[in-house]
Amino acid sequence: MSHPRESRYGRREFLGRSAAGVVGLSSLSTILAACGGADNGNFKPPELMLARPDSPVTWPLLDDNPMIASGLEPESGTLRIYNWNGYLWPRIKKDFAKEYGVKVEETFFTTLDEAISKIASGAVEFDVFFPTPDRLGRLVVGKTLQPLNHDYLPNLANVWPSVQDPWYDKESRYTVPYVTWTTGIGYRTDKVSTTPDSLSNPYEIYWDEANRGKLYLLDDGRDAPAHMLLKNGVEDINTEDIEQIALAKDELKSLYDLNVKVSTDDYTNLPEGRAWVHQMWSGSAISAQWYLPEGTGADALGFWFPQDGAGTIGNDNIAIPRNAKNPVLAHHFLNYLLDSKHGYDNFSNYVGYQPPFTRLDPDRLIADGIVPANLRTAIVRESDFDKGYFLTELTPAGQTEWQNAWAEFKAGV
Amino acid sequence: MSDSNRLVGQERRSDGFWACLALPGVGWLALFFLLPFYVILCVAFGTVDPIFQTPSPEWNPLAWNTAAFEFVFEGLFTSGAAFQTVFVRTLAYVAIATALALLIAYPVAYYVARYGGRWKGLLLVGLIAPFFISYLMRMLAWINLLQDDGWVNDVLVWVGILDAPRNWLDGRASSVILGLVYGYVPFMILPLYAFLDRIDKSLLEAARDLGASPFQAFRMVTLPLSMPAILAGIVIIALPMFGDYYTPDLLSQSPSTSMIGNQIVLYIQGGQQIPVGAALVVVLMLFLSVLMGYYLYATARAQRRLGR
Repeated sequence: MSHPRESRYGRREFLGRSAAGVVGLSSLSTILAACGGADNGNFKPPELMLARPDSPVTWPLLDDNPMIASGLEPESGTLRIYNWNGYLWPRIKKDFAKEYGVKVEETFFTTLDEAISKIASGAVEFDVFFPTPDRLGRLVVGKTLQPLNHDYLPNLANVWPSVQDPWYDKESRYTVPYVTWTTGIGYRTDKVSTTPDSLSNPYEIYWDEANRGKLYLLDDGRDAPAHMLLKNGVEDINTEDIEQIALAKDELKSLYDLNVKVSTDDYTNLPEGRAWVHQMWSGSAISAQWYLPEGTGADALGFWFPQDGAGTIGNDNIAIPRNAKNPVLAHHFLNYLLDSKHGYDNFSNYVGYQPPFTRLDPDRLIADGIVPANLRTAIVRESDFDKGYFLTELTPAGQTEWQNAWAEFKAGV
Repeated sequence: MSDSNRLVGQERRSDGFWACLALPGVGWLALFFLLPFYVILCVAFGTVDPIFQTPSPEWNPLAWNTAAFEFVFEGLFTSGAAFQTVFVRTLAYVAIATALALLIAYPVAYYVARYGGRWKGLLLVGLIAPFFISYLMRMLAWINLLQDDGWVNDVLVWVGILDAPRNWLDGRASSVILGLVYGYVPFMILPLYAFLDRIDKSLLEAARDLGASPFQAFRMVTLPLSMPAILAGIVIIALPMFGDYYTPDLLSQSPSTSMIGNQIVLYIQGGQQIPVGAALVVVLMLFLSVLMGYYLYATARAQRRLGR
């Protein structure tokens, strides 16, 4: 087959055909065959599998991408971290720098895809990177991450057994878990007339006329439509079925009548009163109490997530790029964050997103005053990971369909 | 004979010398405008990397892939499609905001130029000073002012214009247009002021001597004379407004007020359709070049009319 850019097919057809390859063969090799003779003529890529909770993936260890040897001394260079803004307590960096006698530098990215294009280009060199499971496959297959040497990561034992050996990266070969989250519905108990849990279908709260103009969805092309699917009883939130995508899109557009708005500032929109009902990440629900105006107690905040855990759920990762200048130091940093105390401080003082530590039980968080009792639903439980729905990696064609549907909703057509 | 030859020679030499003065500018444009623009073209006409789903630009124009443009044009020319809706909305917002900015800026510039006297400098600084603060900060300030319990509502209720506070941040087109006008109006005031300030007062006196009323003098002398400045002001503020996306993002957040810039951001910031975002950029730029071409034509005509 000729190179796609030489073919008479348009790019979209190309993506469609290659996606069929991915679905059919669970492999990227068809796409790469289509690209044979390009820059990577002799490059035999490993397979890119679409990891799903019911079809876990063990990423291969490759000869040309070895892990570091055991027993090395940490480097003394500057540890360079690549992360979202506001996703790491500055004190953690300071303390780590002091303990190891090094400098720690953090660089922020706006979107993970922006970060991936920079890392993929090889133009940036970071020691620690924060990807998500739905982008992991391409990062591993593209050989941008290095396998982790668990000898340096004894603290991995602190996390729930299920995320020590997660479906998206069996044996935690390339990643360790960072924080967990659920996507629920935040609401103002002092403003709404109906709460989600009083409805037989809690997702119907989005259509409650009483909250017209005070309704927000997350500005996220996967998370927002996922709730539309769940409202309709579609549990496969990673569906690539055109009809289901259209269903989610139409549900989103039906919210125009209620003057729906989109934002990722859920943690301020709700406490500051711009929103009464807000699709919300659990970590934002916990942080929201810090943004309430004076005189409004945390009991004004409510967060709904299915009791049985059957809602949108996920966790983020920490990984070490292949071209890290200080890989040993980076392993130490990963282990540092997996330390129960450091991870807990990072969560409770700043990030608001909860690390999956076995020792962190909901009662303790409430007793410690980290989470107000009425926001107990925002605490992620290990059992949620059995029932919850993960947003996973899609085929390129599926991703295109979802993005175009989201773009249409966002255009206000 | 020899004298005139020397003269011609001198002129040639000096021609070459003056042309050299343009070199830094030309070099700058080539390096920081033409080259980046070519990169955008190559991304728009390129493909995506099969593994990372990041754009792989196609540097060879002969191998350009037009799929992204086909997708964009299909969306622009299908009635009710996302791109068309957003494009028409953007056009309307920019037209209204530009007109309002002109209505606000002209009297201000006129007043400062004609009646500012020795306070001219201070008045100008006063008008411009708030704009030393970043655009983002000023929009964030508007969010506070326009909130349910913000000062705008307080004042309007106190004066009696409103009975109850209004939710200005309720995804209103008017809030977005207000933001655009506020954000760009100083860039309208400055060229207008510079031009109005230079209008020869004796022309106005002549008009009055010939029996024109003050309004007639304004309509028949000042306004035509300031036409090039009005056009320049319109171009200066309309071009960046077309690419604006943070004003609707901050002041509305509603899909129903999103502008073409928001669609560009959506496609560029994430996912694997960055060529579509780049194609939108190119199409918007083509459209703006048409406007720019009209501006050049119109100013040339205005200058001719003024007999210069």
